[in-house]
Amino acid sequence: MSEDRFEGLLGSYLLGELSVEEERELEDHLAGCSECRDELARARQAHAVLQELAAGGPPPELKTRVLARVRGEIPARSRDGWRLWVPAAAALLLVVILGIWLIQSTIRDSPDEVVLSATALAPKASGDLRGEKKGENFQIELEVRELPRLHEDEYYEMWYAREDGGRISCGTFRAQPGGQTTVNLTAPASAVSYPIIEVTREPDDGDPGSSGEKVLVGDLRSL
Amino acid sequence: MFGSVVRVVGDEELIRRVAEGDDRALSELYDRYSRPVYATGIRVLGDASLAEELVQDAFTSVWRAAGSFDPGRASFTTWLYRITRNRAVDLNRRRRVRPVSVGEEPLRNVSGGPEPEGGVDGWDVARALSRIPEEHREVLTLAYFEGLSQREISRRINVPLGTIKSRSTAALKRLHRSLVSPGAEESGHE
Repeated sequence: MSEDRFEGLLGSYLLGELSVEEERELEDHLAGCSECRDELARARQAHAVLQELAAGGPPPELKTRVLARVRGEIPARSRDGWRLWVPAAAALLLVVILGIWLIQSTIRDSPDEVVLSATALAPKASGDLRGEKKGENFQIELEVRELPRLHEDEYYEMWYAREDGGRISCGTFRAQPGGQTTVNLTAPASAVSYPIIEVTREPDDGDPGSSGEKVLVGDLRSL
Repeated sequence: MFGSVVRVVGDEELIRRVAEGDDRALSELYDRYSRPVYATGIRVLGDASLAEELVQDAFTSVWRAAGSFDPGRASFTTWLYRITRNRAVDLNRRRRVRPVSVGEEPLRNVSGGPEPEGGVDGWDVARALSRIPEEHREVLTLAYFEGLSQREISRRINVPLGTIKSRSTAALKRLHRSLVSPGAEESGHE
């Protein structure tokens, strides 16, 4: 086996991918080759930091949730241009949404419905959620009615929340002039511990946290 | 062997694309940096679900504020670290941090952000990965973060197994160089 060939096996060696025979040959070579030992030491350092970083990664489904959330929004630099299209863009933004829910009852294959209640900030508002399990995810339909009219720099946001204040955004949307709209979303199965549904009114200030201005609330545990 | 010219899209180019509404660029930045953001959440907030919220908030902020990023004032990594730190402080202030439970132990050596006081942290590794050629980053990502064997990687990206083996070694060496001599990799950026 040539020098280059031995050197090329170092990555596989660290990953435990060599056959017993290859491993024995390489280790024999390493015993007599300081250059390859140095290369192995450097590769091992990179291997170790990668292993450590890999051990602490977020769950894979989180990426889907993050991208689903932002796909309905317009990034800062593009925002002014889009505002010229507000009526048409509003229709696109409606498609945004998403939320979740999940509690044992939503894991049934048949559709369920949760009625959302109005709050003091929007006493005439009403809404409901329908969910249906599709594979690993949940297809959610949110229908709202008589939501207050928004200023141009505001939007509505739907959340799933816990009683301890933990909260995950499902997506943002705007309603039609009469305050009604229906939006569809896909909820990952990882939000099982967020049984409270909230719809809040949000200023477009770049802060991704909730404003706390709830206009509709619901409790999946009521199912 | 390691001097081949391979175009690497730099973080600053990706954030410019994000500002134009390119969610694929955001996806790439997420792949590069969600781990150190998450690790920071685990370390600061001590809770996996809060760390997930931090990742979501941080990358939503990146999307919303991409147009305000100024590469003349800070690197993308520094900018993202500031966003992450500020969002973590907000989350920490708003919620009582629950005790760390089994399986949620904070990562060791993930402490200093992009300019650590010493040692190597998750931000350094993520940034070093972003600087190496895509074919190297790909093989490392599939092996370490997706847990694929070299044979599975070979099938996934349709490259001979022997090439995957030698590329793995090359990629580890390139990553090591990127960690210890960051400037040496900058010329490979688009």
